[in-house]
Amino acid sequence: MNRETLEMLLIDYIDGKLTPEEKLQVEQELVNNKDAYILYEQLKEVIHTMERSAKLEPTVKLKSSFDKLLEEEIQSTKKPKVIFFQPAFYRVAAAIALIVLGGGIGYWISKYQQQQQELADIRKEVQATKNMMMTMLDNHHSASQRVLGATVALKMERPDDEIIHVLANAMNEDSNTNVRLAALDALSKFNKEQSVRKLLIASLTTQKDPIVQIALIRILVEIRAQGAVKELQRITNDEESLKEVKDEAHAGILKLS
Amino acid sequence: MTDELLMEAVKNGDLQQTSALFERYNKRIFNFLARLTMDRALAEDLTQNVFLRIIKYRNSYREGARFQSWIYQVARNVFSDHYQVHKNKFSDFVDVEKVSDSLYDPEESETMDEQEKILQRSMAKLSEEQRELLILTRFQHMKYEEVATIMDTTVANIKVKVHRAILKLREHYFELEKI
Repeated sequence: MNRETLEMLLIDYIDGKLTPEEKLQVEQELVNNKDAYILYEQLKEVIHTMERSAKLEPTVKLKSSFDKLLEEEIQSTKKPKVIFFQPAFYRVAAAIALIVLGGGIGYWISKYQQQQQELADIRKEVQATKNMMMTMLDNHHSASQRVLGATVALKMERPDDEIIHVLANAMNEDSNTNVRLAALDALSKFNKEQSVRKLLIASLTTQKDPIVQIALIRILVEIRAQGAVKELQRITNDEESLKEVKDEAHAGILKLS
Repeated sequence: MTDELLMEAVKNGDLQQTSALFERYNKRIFNFLARLTMDRALAEDLTQNVFLRIIKYRNSYREGARFQSWIYQVARNVFSDHYQVHKNKFSDFVDVEKVSDSLYDPEESETMDEQEKILQRSMAKLSEEQRELLILTRFQHMKYEEVATIMDTTVANIKVKVHRAILKLREHYFELEKI
């Protein structure tokens, strides 16, 4: 029996884990092989010494430290996080601020939901149009009908004046910033149209909402509307414009030059 | 109440129940860490850390998981974190000379027989991994299945490694015995 096999078997033998056949094998080896027997005795000593090794006792400090630790942890979870303002005036102010903030958030959430509804409605309409278009293009229809469908599709590539008008209005007049941004986004898709480009540049003069101003400037740069440069320069000099808007305008001028 | 139920109570906010778990496990964890670090004072500190983590990370205890496996995993992490900071980069062997000083107090040393003393010094010569395996399986009498869970490996792997550790231990033991 080779040494490695013997070593593994001996440990299991000492632990009493061998099958009767394996046990016999090992015992034969122990009888015939002196080295095997020595190894066996040594392993037995080591294993038994481990078996009867004393359990170590911790000091009393361990328990007392633990008790202290537990107490601290319990206390720290009990104490609520109190933000304490002195004097009373500030506490009242903080309370009012919280109420206003809470109310304000509620307002914006409902506005957002309203917009989402509007957007959803718009999407439904667009989808309906598209569906109509696609039905017309369907192979089941006659050739002339397919031609018609294709023409409609082509027409959709270029925007409807009515659509542009509505979008431009929304971009310039709507009281809600997000609606304006959405309108701007839609219009910018039609930027190949001269009329649309003119509209976008013109919008720069009337926009007062900095978020929309910045978005508009970025789009004008993207579509390389050189005609906007004059207006951008005006903005950089305009006292009423916000710094961020002026910076954006300035960058825009550099990019368009 | 089972360990698992106690821990679930702790998880749900009843921190006081940690006390019961401490009663049940502090000696075992202390023994594990003491034999692993071969430093009793250190082992007490680390044991504290283990119970602190049990409380602080109570949310990471998975309901239904075996508590004993979990607490030992925490103990291993505490040990490993300590040695990340303090490790002697050149060897993970313990200073054999210091072993008898920090592991056994004078009284214990007297009653301890020669064999056990040699055993401790031999254990000190093993690698941390081998020492750890022997502590869990041979000193704490844990089943291979559980050790496999704690060390995140297979039973077969544990078996082979434990055997090798015992053989290595024998080597050191009988070398030291000759001295």
